Amino acid sequence: MSLIASLPNISAYGTPSYFIYLLIAILPLAIGLYFGKRFQWYEALISFVFLFLMFDGASSVQGISLLIYLVYQTLLVTGYYRYRKHANNKYVFYITTFLSLLPIVIVKFTPAMTGHNSLIGFLGISYLTFRAAGTVIETRDGAVNDLTWWKFIRFMVFMPTITSGPIDRYRRFAKDYQQVPTREHYLDMVQTAVKYLFIGFLYKFVFAYFTGQVWLPRLKEMAMLHAPHLSWWVAGVAYMYSADLYFDFAGYSLFAIAISYLMGVETPINFNHPLKSKNIKEFWNRWHMTLSFWFRDYIFMRFVFMATKKRWFKNRNTLSAVAYMLNMLTMGFWHGVTWYYIFYGFLHGLALIGNDAWLRYKRKHLNIKSTAVTRGVGRFITFNFVVLSFLIFSGFLNQLWFGR
Amino acid sequence: MTNRKRLWTIFGPVILAGLLVIGFICLPWSGHHSDLAKREAAVSLSPLVMKNASIKTQALAKNQHTEYVPFFGSSEFRRMDRFHPAVMAARYHHYRPFMFGSRGTQSLPQLFNMVGMAKEMNHGKAVFIISPQWFVKNGVLPVAFKFYNGAYANLIWLNQANPASRYDRYTARRLLQLIGSNGIVGSAARKIAAGESLSGWDKFQIQSRIRLLAQEDRLFSGIDASHNYENKIKPKIKLLPKQYNYQKLIREAKHDAKAQTTNNRFGIYNKFYASTVKNAKKRLAGSQSHFSYLQSPEYSDFEAVLNQFCKTKTNVMFVITPVNEKWEKYTGLSLKMYEQATAKIKYQLQSQGFNHITDFSNMGNRPGFMQDTIHIGWAGWVDFDRKVAPFLDQPQPAPKYHLQSKFLSRKWQQLKPTAKNLAEFDK
Repeated sequence: MSLIASLPNISAYGTPSYFIYLLIAILPLAIGLYFGKRFQWYEALISFVFLFLMFDGASSVQGISLLIYLVYQTLLVTGYYRYRKHANNKYVFYITTFLSLLPIVIVKFTPAMTGHNSLIGFLGISYLTFRAAGTVIETRDGAVNDLTWWKFIRFMVFMPTITSGPIDRYRRFAKDYQQVPTREHYLDMVQTAVKYLFIGFLYKFVFAYFTGQVWLPRLKEMAMLHAPHLSWWVAGVAYMYSADLYFDFAGYSLFAIAISYLMGVETPINFNHPLKSKNIKEFWNRWHMTLSFWFRDYIFMRFVFMATKKRWFKNRNTLSAVAYMLNMLTMGFWHGVTWYYIFYGFLHGLALIGNDAWLRYKRKHLNIKSTAVTRGVGRFITFNFVVLSFLIFSGFLNQLWFGR
Repeated sequence: MTNRKRLWTIFGPVILAGLLVIGFICLPWSGHHSDLAKREAAVSLSPLVMKNASIKTQALAKNQHTEYVPFFGSSEFRRMDRFHPAVMAARYHHYRPFMFGSRGTQSLPQLFNMVGMAKEMNHGKAVFIISPQWFVKNGVLPVAFKFYNGAYANLIWLNQANPASRYDRYTARRLLQLIGSNGIVGSAARKIAAGESLSGWDKFQIQSRIRLLAQEDRLFSGIDASHNYENKIKPKIKLLPKQYNYQKLIREAKHDAKAQTTNNRFGIYNKFYASTVKNAKKRLAGSQSHFSYLQSPEYSDFEAVLNQFCKTKTNVMFVITPVNEKWEKYTGLSLKMYEQATAKIKYQLQSQGFNHITDFSNMGNRPGFMQDTIHIGWAGWVDFDRKVAPFLDQPQPAPKYHLQSKFLSRKWQQLKPTAKNLAEFDK
């Protein structure tokens, strides 16, 4: 234990040198794929080594939590898969889903209840939960017809995406994973990977450096001078935080996708020019896409189906409003049980409802043609709303008003 | 396109770019800084000058035709009126201050700043301005620390850190608290904090990073162009009387102060009052009555700085700054508490042989001494110069410091400095 605690701890994609080690490590794999072979054992080995480096040293408690968590989810999911082959009781499904979500519920509620972080948490637990719970739901739907403990674990701890996504789906991943791309196609993937890596470098190591390390602290400091009162500096914090969040996270996602591609797996993209969004609904189709699609498919759609089937609502608009609010509030809670995450979710729920209402109203009563101007106005409103919501999300107001 | 050709179109540009970067970095850049660049850097107050080493070490190297003396402090250096130390020195003295300090440069940022130029400070002199405002409950803010301090300084410190020294273990612990435990800096700091030596591999990694960062420093440090000297210092030199005459200077300083503090009753510089104080004035009334500078980790951080002065055998004059008394009465800051904090700082200095102390802490009510709420200016700078210049101009006997690591203890950090408590702590 003391040996492990003394080893260096290397966070994923943290430094340029990490990429050198990582790329050297996956080079044999890439050569194999180029020649139409997938070295599964080698991939497992390097995945293990890099995961180990992520969760050793000071994070070794997290590493142990991760191991236990993996065993737990694997037993649960493979058990349910075996059960589902011959039966389909809905209560078994509910209980399995509940058990699958239980660790994250504990982890997210512990700080709010006890004031300190839960022992069973580790970096990336949210993302692993999405993968596991998503697999349970897909299994219920009968969409998963080939699941073994080994394949499931490979999917869960697929090294490039383990800590912060993008969130893949088991069915999609398993399909990629079983076949080797053609040489032609693999070269396309490599080309994209190189492009993504360099855009990622620009985002994460250049832009996010200035936004997050240089300018944001300055703006926060200036804003804090006026605490607990608002000042124009707070607006500066809001815009800068948003820029930083985007460059940091989009850069990280690009790295994860690029490394996946080099390993012959087409992990879905996470950001698609969010600045271009003309309304808030479009924004969620462009921002942190794998997360919002997960919520859309497994919370929003499920709720809508169920409510329609059971006729809970007479009015279709009420139904979608409730579904939006449920969807976004759940997302808020998932981020963490603090007033600002929940309020952030609430605001986005409200915005989606408002957006739908406006579109209905516009269609019925107004005759506005879509022009460059209307699109520009839409983008302006969407962007500024999002920035405002990110200010809340950042927790800076908590610091400003309550000094925490 | 054949596959081989495609591989070249994909990786060719990457390989070429890599070769160009490696070639660029490996070129033997001299990194020499001109006298003009040093003169600007000396009053730039820029975090880059603190974080990097090449400019400050070249300026402070021994036997230069301009003799720079390091001045450590914080935001008061920005008060560049015509009596500012850089102007005064240019007019009357043979030395030039090389100033390190902006808002938030408390003890620890200064410590890491000093470590980067330890060789140049060896057996030299220095001036250190302490503001009791640093000694707040939680000490230096992590953002401020990160702003003025970077991996380069951390690595240089780690490379020379001694796990057997209580001072270094303390500093490593603080480093971890302030920047987190990531990366090579984090893992090496954890070892030092735990009293373990760094392995050969650790040292190798640290030293190769230092070499790379030193090369970066040589390459890029010259880029940050400040114009403080040209714009704010140089034009003011000729505004001072040709011959040094304290009486005349103090009279003119008070006159300047009077003429420029007309829009308020606190003796605050008009511009500063209009831009910063006026709108906030109402809510600031009584707002500082609960402030206390008596208990703070900063006391131990400061001790780590003293240890660094002791290591480099630097003869250093400490200046303790006052606060604007009229303003502080308005905001309710306890002047008695301020006095006690000063006493605690002075006790820590004197009991370890740091005897060059200029205590201005009770000068906050003198006309023209303060430029705004907490920063000295005008007459304050004239008196500052009157104390500091003789210390720097004349040879001084070598100091004898005897450090006591008990000042690193939580007990000292939290000690309320009554006469009785101090006497008891002495035992």
